[in-house]
Amino acid sequence: MTATVAITLRVNGRLRSIEVAPHRTLLDVLRDDIRLTGAKECCLVGECGACTVIVDGRTVDSCLVLAVEVDGGEVTTAEGLARDGTLTPLQQAFLDEGAVQCGFCIPGQVVSAHALLAENPDPTLEEIQEGLAGNLCRCGCYWQISDAVIAAARNDAR
Amino acid sequence: MQPFAYARPASLAETVALLERHGPEARLLAGGTDLIIRLRDGTLTPSIVVDLKRVAELRPGIRERDGRLVIGATTVMTDIMANAVVRRDFAALAEAAAVVGSVQIRNRATLAGNLCNASPAADTSPSLLVYDATLVVTGPDGERRIPLDAFFVRSGVTTLAHGELVTSIELPLPTAARGSVHLRRTRRRGHDLASVTLACSVDGAGITRLAYGSVGPRPLLVGDESGVLADPAAPEAAREAILDRLLADARPSPRSMRSGPDYRLAMLRVLARRGIRAASERLVSRRAT
Amino acid sequence: MTSAPVGGSPQRVGGIARVTGQQEYLADIHLPGEGHAKLVTLPVAHARLVAIDASVAEALPGVQFVMTPADLPDPIPRFGPQFNDRPVLAVGEALYHGEPVAAVVAETREIAEAAARLVRVEYEELPAAVTVAAALAADAPLVRDPKLRPDDALASTNVLREHRYTWGDVDTTTADLVVEHDYSFPMVTHFAIEPHAVIAAPDDDGIAVWSSIQHPNWLQRILAQVLGLPLAKVRVHAPDPGGAFGGKQHAKYEPLVAFMARRAGRPVRLVLSLEETFQAVRRAAAEVHVRTGLMADGTIAFQDVAADYLIGAYADIADRVVGKGSYPGCGPYRVPAARIVARAVLSHTLPSTAFRGFGNPQVNWAVESNLTDGALALGLDPLELRLRNLARRGEAFIPFDTPADGDWQQAVHRAAELIDWFGPKPPGRGRGIAVGIKSGPTTGLSYATVRLLADGSIVVYAGTSDMGQGARTVFAQIAAQELGAPLDWITVVMGDTVVVPYDQQTSASRSTVLMGNAVLSACRDIQAKLRAMAARLHGLDESSIVVDAGVVRLPDRELSILDVLKPGLGRLGGEVVGNGEARKEAEPGHPLGGSAAFFEFNCTAVEAEVDRDTGDVTLTRYATVSDVGKAINPLQVRMQDEGAAIQGLGHTLMEHFIFDDGGRIRNLGAIDYRIPTSMDLPLEMISEIVENGDGPGPYGAKGMSEGAILCVSAAVAAAVRDATGAVIRDLPLSPERVWQALNEQSRVPEEVVR
Ligand code: FES
Ligand code: FES
Repeated sequence: MTATVAITLRVNGRLRSIEVAPHRTLLDVLRDDIRLTGAKECCLVGECGACTVIVDGRTVDSCLVLAVEVDGGEVTTAEGLARDGTLTPLQQAFLDEGAVQCGFCIPGQVVSAHALLAENPDPTLEEIQEGLAGNLCRCGCYWQISDAVIAAARNDAR
Repeated sequence: MQPFAYARPASLAETVALLERHGPEARLLAGGTDLIIRLRDGTLTPSIVVDLKRVAELRPGIRERDGRLVIGATTVMTDIMANAVVRRDFAALAEAAAVVGSVQIRNRATLAGNLCNASPAADTSPSLLVYDATLVVTGPDGERRIPLDAFFVRSGVTTLAHGELVTSIELPLPTAARGSVHLRRTRRRGHDLASVTLACSVDGAGITRLAYGSVGPRPLLVGDESGVLADPAAPEAAREAILDRLLADARPSPRSMRSGPDYRLAMLRVLARRGIRAASERLVSRRAT
Repeated sequence: MTSAPVGGSPQRVGGIARVTGQQEYLADIHLPGEGHAKLVTLPVAHARLVAIDASVAEALPGVQFVMTPADLPDPIPRFGPQFNDRPVLAVGEALYHGEPVAAVVAETREIAEAAARLVRVEYEELPAAVTVAAALAADAPLVRDPKLRPDDALASTNVLREHRYTWGDVDTTTADLVVEHDYSFPMVTHFAIEPHAVIAAPDDDGIAVWSSIQHPNWLQRILAQVLGLPLAKVRVHAPDPGGAFGGKQHAKYEPLVAFMARRAGRPVRLVLSLEETFQAVRRAAAEVHVRTGLMADGTIAFQDVAADYLIGAYADIADRVVGKGSYPGCGPYRVPAARIVARAVLSHTLPSTAFRGFGNPQVNWAVESNLTDGALALGLDPLELRLRNLARRGEAFIPFDTPADGDWQQAVHRAAELIDWFGPKPPGRGRGIAVGIKSGPTTGLSYATVRLLADGSIVVYAGTSDMGQGARTVFAQIAAQELGAPLDWITVVMGDTVVVPYDQQTSASRSTVLMGNAVLSACRDIQAKLRAMAARLHGLDESSIVVDAGVVRLPDRELSILDVLKPGLGRLGGEVVGNGEARKEAEPGHPLGGSAAFFEFNCTAVEAEVDRDTGDVTLTRYATVSDVGKAINPLQVRMQDEGAAIQGLGHTLMEHFIFDDGGRIRNLGAIDYRIPTSMDLPLEMISEIVENGDGPGPYGAKGMSEGAILCVSAAVAAAVRDATGAVIRDLPLSPERVWQALNEQSRVPEEVVR
């Protein structure tokens, strides 16, 4: 066994110091060590986006990031979006528009959509479809998800 | 994933020393979007992974210097596709960077990583070939420059020597108007590995350059200086004859499950025609502005 | 929510947990002291197992043990929903790429994985049959040992069963035109985003198993059988699956993990990788030969359908898929003479199982495409041909079965209208239309319990699995409608066989109908008790009191339920419990063992554009219209119909497993098994429903959610054909295949000239 490395990262606003083996991914550490299970495990090859989190302002597939790489960084997961038990307008829009079926892809979708809106507050349908293509939804909620992003963007504009 | 040691060097010298010390046992980590897949599936089992993201000299960035655009090795696709100079003068590169994986992948995948994997299907290779990119490489013997066309050998193999790493990619800034484009074929519209990838540039002198990948062990760069390809008024037969010659070295693998060789060759031809047309149109609109 | 609960689209129950990342799926559950399991599989499809040496693996620190067939009861227990044919671990031979031959339990997942690589399996690779042709060849290697099939006339073949349905006389029926073609449907996998997972733990003198299973009670029965335990000692916890689509209906590795947990004396968890999940579930591929007889006016004279479904090495539920999926194979039409011969062909591939549409999309693809072919050959509009033959309400269009239970013409007209079927076609575009039909459940049994608590809030117990269809929401809506509580005062409990009453299964789009009716009748049971309570409190005759929609109507005034409940329960409080039951009895004489509880009917109309140089298909307009009887939750209906359509676009345009000569899956994993992304949708998709309140479920609902996947392929291929003339009879319609078809088409005139 290789020695572990001490890292410090801020997860959903909370500072965490942990010891990790270098070969463990951010996804592993979030799910197994920090027990934040909103990021999901599916393909483990960066295709499905179920494991999407935001690292230093940008979305990543956390299955393709080593935890040690994020030392000193800031991570936001699906659990970290709502504040004080209040859903973000985007999360609420997901529910209003029927964008949630089984829900397994949804934490990743919400995180990606959140980052998309942060970058582009008024996206077109094409921009949404392109921006969220890295988040597969086998239940096929794609139309409802883009409706939700558009609704949240409108809501924000108001 | 098999355990490995992790190093996070702060300087280039330190990095090179690590590479020298560990030889083939060391693997460089930039974006990790390819490396981590291969670490997990066991095709790579290094004893140490060397993370380049804290190396001072390798900080990501895109700068103009001495008539060249210098792209730092760890610059990610998201930043390349968004860069104003890239979009203006190296449109094919911007387009290629924009189709590397999903947003999440582009937020991590680096330009040097894409090149050093030497995948025949790498999206950024054809455009960089067309733009005459040069790789700046540092190793135990100091720095050297490798023209990109002399870099690729075959899938996964480059002319990079042991202990060497790519520190930046240089592109000569265009001195005259040029139209260029990147095109690809995939199995679906969403992110996918390309079954054919092609970049084309056309300049005012009628020089057409084509580079294409995924149809052989390495991407190929070809050109036509006769002006015929770029001339929409030229007889079709003449243009097709030139394309016959330019595309003659394409050798798509018969074993690929992504698409058959006949289809790849036919699509290469389609992309070449479309690429020439699109690049020529861009050239015209460039000149008009 | 001010509108009536039923027919509105309230926020999904469980929605908040899902958008905040709090929803607990199976892999998110951890039990104290749990061990981690990993399967040992071989890199070949078919092998004779010689020996397993686990000593190196077991010596690895952190490994508890390696389970091999020798560690299981002898003979090794076999199980399955239809046949007891699947061994807990492969015995004697491994029959498909990915079949577990042993399994490791270790302290961590990582150690388990490392140990699994160290298990030495000595084997001899054997020839594998991985296509219909290879499996049916005279000299094909037999997948199933004939000794396991005594008294079976087919034992010396790879045909597990042949299903034959005939009426009229196809051989003597004449037609003006006979259209005869072969079609193929690819082998596709469910690709639920949640990979399969199971945890088992010794539970006092029994066993507790957590599985993301669609049928917890069926799993309970299987586990009781293989472990030799009474049902009450098998507790199945079934957290809401992260997508299932039929793939999570039946037991796969649960018995294995249960045996491992018992041996380990502690909880054992097995979380499959996506690759392992691909090797666990898939849809049957099919090769379908269709001969359609048509009269000059487009009337169908006969249908002669021969469908070979490539099932896997073990039957799972695949034989039922073949039998039930092909029975309505002639479609929702008046067909005077029909012969349907459907065979379940065993092969050295992973077991196929239920997958949304349950065997219908395969035959539908062939039969609907053949009808389009016939219409064009007769110079008729394919829409007209369909309307001419479509069964009318009440017509017994499939002998012995439920008569047509909808005004299906409405859906067809509407779908056509939505893509402007008769309007001018933009240049380069083509249009296609197809219809699909699927039998609902042929038998069923659901119990529900509803508790009306002292404050008027409600707990509903329903053994359905909420795998994305939103069953919790629907049941809450029914309870809210009947008992007047606001939706957020209702809790729906599912997925625990010790707590929740029996439900046969979550499949065949049954839950809204069967469990819905059970919940409804449990609510009505409570209403009856409230009526008695009110009668007692107010000295009235019960018959003069009506309880409805949360209101108690006395002859002279209306009271809220609470006005009756509070005084009725008295000082001690308590609650009112209602029980409900819904059955669909078997009909032994019926070819399927029972007639359809309802039909799912869908019409899909598509407008497409094709890039002739590349073969790229762009769907410019897509309309899907389903007859749902009554949408209890219109938003959930829409999202499921659109989801089904998008899933159908997967097998239509891009999905298929690719095998190498040895029977290994080459595109094992998400990189090369492509499913639609948000960029692979039609430019415009419209879904609508027909509601005539004519279903057997609550408020006239029918089952839905599978209808919209049935005829996607035929509609899309017809549009591609209309746009280009290219006729394609093999799925998927990948750009390469469309390009090939276009090329062949352009070669034809030359040959004719020569
Ligand atoms: S699990 Fe990370 S992208 Fe699929
Ligand atoms: S909601 Fe089920 S996978 Fe997206």
